[in-house]
Amino acid sequence: MNNSKILLIILAAALISLSCKKQLDITNTNEPTPQSAENELGVISLAQGAIYRNGFYDLKYTDGVYGRFWSGATGFLELMGDEIGAEAANAFMNQIGCPNKVILDNGTAVLNPSAVNTQYALLRTINSNQQSGSNPVYYEWAYMYNMITAANTVLDIAKNIKFSGSGAASKKATVDAWAYWWKGYAYAHIGTLYYAGVIQNATTTEAKTNGNYVTKEAIIAESNANFDKAATALALATSSTDYEATVSKLIPAFLQLGKGGVLSPDMWLHNINTMKARNILLNTTKSAMTATQWSGILALVNKGITATDLIFTGRTDPNGDFLGTTIADKIQSNGAATGTYKLSERWVQEFHTGDKRFDNNVKKLTSTGIFNTDRGNAFNTRYTLSNGGAGLTNVIVWANTTAGANEITLAGTYEENELMKAEALIQTGQVDLGVASIDNVRNYQGAGLAPLGTGLTQAAAYEELRRERRIALGFKGLSFFDARRWEIIAPDKSRTGAVVISATGVLNTNATIVYGYLDYWDVPDNELAYNPAVSGSAPVKNPK
Amino acid sequence: MRKLLSCLVGLVLLCQSATSQTSEISGKVADDKGNPIPGVSVQEKSTKRGTTTDANGFFKLTVKPGATLVFTSIGFDTKQIVVDKSGSQSITLTASNTALSEVVVTGVGAATSKKKIAFAIETVNLSNQTKVSSGDVGQQLVGQVAGAQISSTNGNPGQPLNIILRGINTVQTSTLPMILLDGVQVGATDLNSIDINIIDRVEVVQGSAAATFYGAQGANGVIQLFTKKARPGKINIDVSSSATTTALLNVGNVHKADKHAFTTDAAGNVIKSDGSLLTFDSTLGVYDGNVQYNALGLTSYAEKPYVGNLKYYDHYKEFFQNGYVFNNSVTISGTRDKVDFLLSASDNKQNSNFKNNGDYRRSNLTGKLGIELAKGLKLTSLTQLIYTKNTLNDQTGRGIVYALNNTRPFANYQYKDFDGNYGVYVGDAAGVNAANPNYINQYTSTLINKTDIIQSFDLNYRFPKFLELDAKYTLNARNENTNYRYEDQEFNQNAVYNQFFYSNYNPNQAADGSTTGEIDNYVRRTTFQNFIGTATVRTDFDKDFHIKIPLKTVTILAYDYRKTLNKEYDSYAYDAPSFSPWNSKEAAVFKVFEDRVEPFITYGFLANQRLEWGDIAGISAGIRSDFSSAFGSGAVAQTFPRGDAYLNVSKFKFWENSKISNVFSDFKIRAAYGEAGIQPKPFDRFPKLNPANLGAGSVFTYPTTNPNPLLEVEISKETELGVDLGFKLLKGSWLPNANFSFTWWKRSTDNAIYATDAAPSTGVGSVLDNAFGLGSNGIQASLNLNVLNSKDFSWSMTTNFTKQTSEITSIKGPDVVILSSAGSTGITLKPGYKIGQLFGFLVLKDVNQLDPNTGQPFIAKANQANYEVASNGYVVSKATHQPVSSPTQYAFGDPNPTFNMGFINNFSYKGYLSFSFQWDWVYGSHLYNQTKEWMYRDGISGDYTVPFSIGGVSHAYTAFYRGIYQAGANNGTKDYFYEDASFGRLRNVSIAFDFAKVFKIKGFQRLQLVASGRNLVTITKYTGYDPEVSSGTANSTFDRGVDHNSIPNTRGYTIGLNVGF
Repeated sequence: MNNSKILLIILAAALISLSCKKQLDITNTNEPTPQSAENELGVISLAQGAIYRNGFYDLKYTDGVYGRFWSGATGFLELMGDEIGAEAANAFMNQIGCPNKVILDNGTAVLNPSAVNTQYALLRTINSNQQSGSNPVYYEWAYMYNMITAANTVLDIAKNIKFSGSGAASKKATVDAWAYWWKGYAYAHIGTLYYAGVIQNATTTEAKTNGNYVTKEAIIAESNANFDKAATALALATSSTDYEATVSKLIPAFLQLGKGGVLSPDMWLHNINTMKARNILLNTTKSAMTATQWSGILALVNKGITATDLIFTGRTDPNGDFLGTTIADKIQSNGAATGTYKLSERWVQEFHTGDKRFDNNVKKLTSTGIFNTDRGNAFNTRYTLSNGGAGLTNVIVWANTTAGANEITLAGTYEENELMKAEALIQTGQVDLGVASIDNVRNYQGAGLAPLGTGLTQAAAYEELRRERRIALGFKGLSFFDARRWEIIAPDKSRTGAVVISATGVLNTNATIVYGYLDYWDVPDNELAYNPAVSGSAPVKNPK
Repeated sequence: MRKLLSCLVGLVLLCQSATSQTSEISGKVADDKGNPIPGVSVQEKSTKRGTTTDANGFFKLTVKPGATLVFTSIGFDTKQIVVDKSGSQSITLTASNTALSEVVVTGVGAATSKKKIAFAIETVNLSNQTKVSSGDVGQQLVGQVAGAQISSTNGNPGQPLNIILRGINTVQTSTLPMILLDGVQVGATDLNSIDINIIDRVEVVQGSAAATFYGAQGANGVIQLFTKKARPGKINIDVSSSATTTALLNVGNVHKADKHAFTTDAAGNVIKSDGSLLTFDSTLGVYDGNVQYNALGLTSYAEKPYVGNLKYYDHYKEFFQNGYVFNNSVTISGTRDKVDFLLSASDNKQNSNFKNNGDYRRSNLTGKLGIELAKGLKLTSLTQLIYTKNTLNDQTGRGIVYALNNTRPFANYQYKDFDGNYGVYVGDAAGVNAANPNYINQYTSTLINKTDIIQSFDLNYRFPKFLELDAKYTLNARNENTNYRYEDQEFNQNAVYNQFFYSNYNPNQAADGSTTGEIDNYVRRTTFQNFIGTATVRTDFDKDFHIKIPLKTVTILAYDYRKTLNKEYDSYAYDAPSFSPWNSKEAAVFKVFEDRVEPFITYGFLANQRLEWGDIAGISAGIRSDFSSAFGSGAVAQTFPRGDAYLNVSKFKFWENSKISNVFSDFKIRAAYGEAGIQPKPFDRFPKLNPANLGAGSVFTYPTTNPNPLLEVEISKETELGVDLGFKLLKGSWLPNANFSFTWWKRSTDNAIYATDAAPSTGVGSVLDNAFGLGSNGIQASLNLNVLNSKDFSWSMTTNFTKQTSEITSIKGPDVVILSSAGSTGITLKPGYKIGQLFGFLVLKDVNQLDPNTGQPFIAKANQANYEVASNGYVVSKATHQPVSSPTQYAFGDPNPTFNMGFINNFSYKGYLSFSFQWDWVYGSHLYNQTKEWMYRDGISGDYTVPFSIGGVSHAYTAFYRGIYQAGANNGTKDYFYEDASFGRLRNVSIAFDFAKVFKIKGFQRLQLVASGRNLVTITKYTGYDPEVSSGTANSTFDRGVDHNSIPNTRGYTIGLNVGF
């Protein structure tokens, strides 16, 4: 072979390997494109992912210690609601629930031992863009705005695509109702926790926002407006076949169990009413509630969730696709309260003796859990939750780490609706009727307690209501808002008669806790850093 | 492109054979060791008659009697002889003694003497060096490359190095330079997998002016490895074996507190809150309660010895072990007629410095074959097969060290329960972040099999005149199969009780929390191809065109094509059957969780024109134009210009004729400018939805980090100025000569890619953007000193100096604060600041310390009386004994070194005894001692027992140490743990004795016994294990200043035998 031939061969080989520009046009075969969602099946798939993943799961910051929305963001609220405590310092979780002061039975005052020793100061220090994922204030905001913009995208796509079949309009209406419902839900969360918010009508694809912050009241109004739009859309879903077929695709199959499932439009309306009632109740202090507000709540809860209605639920699954663990799962422990969350003595003390819910769930530790004293000692505890319950039949179980066995509720529940009804009745003088609703809840959860009967004073009835709300609505992210409206969290207020285990293991039964927690959080600094308030905006910082 | 090709083809067809000759002389040219030198130019003086030597150093030439022959070859001193008779001649050329005469090719395109290069290229000759026991080429280069920061940041086997060649030019991607092997890129195989035994020489190109040759992938610089060449003549067989023993460094004497501050009874027993003794439950393997430890208490002192119910265990002694490394290598090489070959087999085996943590083994097979197909036409094939087997359970080792360092010393980790099982968690009493590595090793196992193939062909044709054509192609494939296995842990009583299991995907969600085994399989394949076609046209105006000017030109036209295909297929299986052995197929749950294909294609054209005026001056300019699949549609090419020039003042007549040339033999000034790029990742510009599993279904979700269709290639622009000096010093053997090179450079990147945060209300987490501007500058210098060069004894000394600094010049949007990937430590990216500055609280050392931002004291004047400076230098509250920190956070400073230097000395006596050592000095570097901070959490650090005075009373105050941990924020970043990590290190010392040379043993070319030591001495103020480590992502651009339980480097002693036949 002469060298010319060899060179020719090599050059030919080179020519083959030479690229034309077409080769550069690679495609990403690994992920769908935004256009993949622009058809009927695509938008339904997106509508599901938008809520269960973008809304509750996927954020730019995460931390395995406190977990995703239902154990992390919600856990922060429960830490402040004194249902749980934490020793781990991730995202300052041990400090946002550390009271300013605990006065023990013997008069000893135990101050917040942290370097920044009040929660007000702490939140102002750590709500900083520089804290990135360590800022607990960031999470709920980010999850909920993820949900809102993704829901906006769903609405936008649904408006522009053609649904199939004769029931196309019903399918679209169902998708619309879904998106509006979750928008109402997300705004409810924003408006209930933050001092201000933005009304966001842009889609995730547009990736834009506005700096026109509005008050928390305007956000709650936006929440209600979206709930109303959801109700309107539901009315347009006239083909029940297409409605049901669509809902069954919107709710993941593994959540169509227990109280979760393909709820009827009526049931959905009940869910909407309960949420609207919650919007009123949680955002006004008990002392400031007006008769109009109570009657407004009553009107809503009377058309709210019934004992047999299906509701919006969540469950773990083996892969942790939606819930890794729940708050209760992070409490339960065999050993010396090694769970991330410690069960608060103040929660346990709300049980009446003989409550089967206590017997089925609350487990005494083999050795009292005494934790790092320098992280506060409000969270020392004798108790934890039993994993899977003690086996009592028809009694609620809070913790269950077996995949799929633990059902949590995402929005309103029968118990909440009934307890709001009870509260409105008690506060409007219909004490016996209200007390009956408390009994309903206890029966529903299998408490096995004797009925409260009739003739309780309003104060006694309200105390039963308070304790029942603490227990029955435990781990749902409501306790902090209750504490806020009961006005015990301000620095100049306190909770008395508290059970506290001191750092040396001494049981106190009449301790006083000065929580000193901020009532509404400032807008997260990560938001303000990239979306500063324009002039004319509502204040983005709680003046307290 | 087509035109270019047809042009090349045409040139090939026009190729003619050389003209005929009649009478001749012949000869052989060899070096002073007798090795033939191919390619030597043999020229009859004052005529056009000339030739070059062949592969065996032979030449034939027709000359007149009495003619003068001039022999020139790059890298050797020119020699002239007078031909007094015909017949065979034997010519010996002496290697040029100065570094300036070295020949380099990287970033130049055609072999060029360093004397004629206008930018800095560092070269390291590995062939005669004692090799590092890890067999890692990068490790070998530490301290030897002026301008480069190469750090060995983790001592576990197989861990990558941190390499910065010149400044930090990107944010999100790595600082890792491109690796070339014999001229083509190795795009799939790691630097530490390539067989060090076949590497002859390394060239390091750091600046953009040279990296422009490599276009959109060159901005981090280039490390080019050159394989050994077969020496002409008879077949050589070289065998080398070595054994090394290693021990983890602990230069800061890290240890656990041997005293505690727990509440005890009168006998010193640790008691629980109910007054009973803390006891160990031997069934469950846990302590039955918690210690009482009021760390912030005013009378809490870590002064109680471990007597009574709790014992002190030395966990380091229990878990650390001496490692060993074995290296074996055989190389056979030789030439026959028109063929040269080299075959090599090497094996490297290392074990972990942690007991039962597995080992690491790499085997390399190399075959290199060169065939001269026709005169001037050479085909070279290089094949390397690499097999790596890695059974290290903890790849970085950080998990083990973290588990140990967060365990109070009374935990008995050697305890086995009645079933013979280790427990994993002994309870909160021993620390909530504690875990028993014995448990991990009992239940988990790792097997990583990696196969690398590097196959390259190089076809080179030198036309008799003007033109050289070269085609190189490489196929580099890497197949890595990682298998993690977690055994059934449901019968481990301790684990079930604590619900503490090891698994990756098994959620352990049975009501009893148990886990029943898991197997994970990760299959990752990378296929990389690189084709480079080069046409080089050389002209010499005098010789070729008879124009009497000393002008030479070199024109390079090149086409370069790269294709990478990454494939990943990962699965897990759990819920094992009740029988054993079992495999994925028997598991109840099996899932594929990654199935990904990622193609990446880029190609470019290079044109470079170079002009040389005698030896005096040279200038070159070129452009490289790249297309890439990562640029989106690929419609627009990215063009990178370059240019350089040098002036060799010492070659002017006035200089040569003046006395100054007696001292300054060389004096060259040079300047260069170039641009080079770093490409976005393959799909960074492609909008996408993320499919996610939700139960049995799959749904669309929006990604948290969003691609950006407008993303551009990151472009680094650089200017460098330099000077190369050659000195003739003393007459005689002492200090005959020296070389000094100095380069100043400055570079900038104004469009570095970063996933910038978006306002959360947009529903988007972050968006990739060309968001950062970066600026760097630095100097690099090297001094080669020929200290002594006598007949028997030689001593050479090299000093390398590197100073570089990189800062952020601009950011789109607010400053960015991120946590180190090592966890916990804050890093700020802020315009006007050095990249990768740590960010945290200041712990006060002066009662009146002022806030650098406001100028006001941190402690108000009125309150200052409540504080004092304790005898340890820190401000403490008189009331609480706790330290005081700033309320807000500040950037601390640049963790990167101010400069680093390497001092290398080589001594040789009569060619058989050689001695060398290398000192490295890294000055001004800092580390955040996160290891220590975690050890402060639960009173574990040995510091806790160090007493100091508050108000004149000396105690080991736990309130202070725990207060440090809490200062600012629990586990928050604070300057207390930000330590000077400057160090001086005796990197290498080696002594070799060649018996074959002394005793003239027949049949042996070499019988050399080598004893060497590595990292024998470290001088530092750093209080951690090793000031050289870094726990952030390897080669991260900003995450370089954190020590979070990283495995220190090891001190190693090696004995080796090198035999040559």
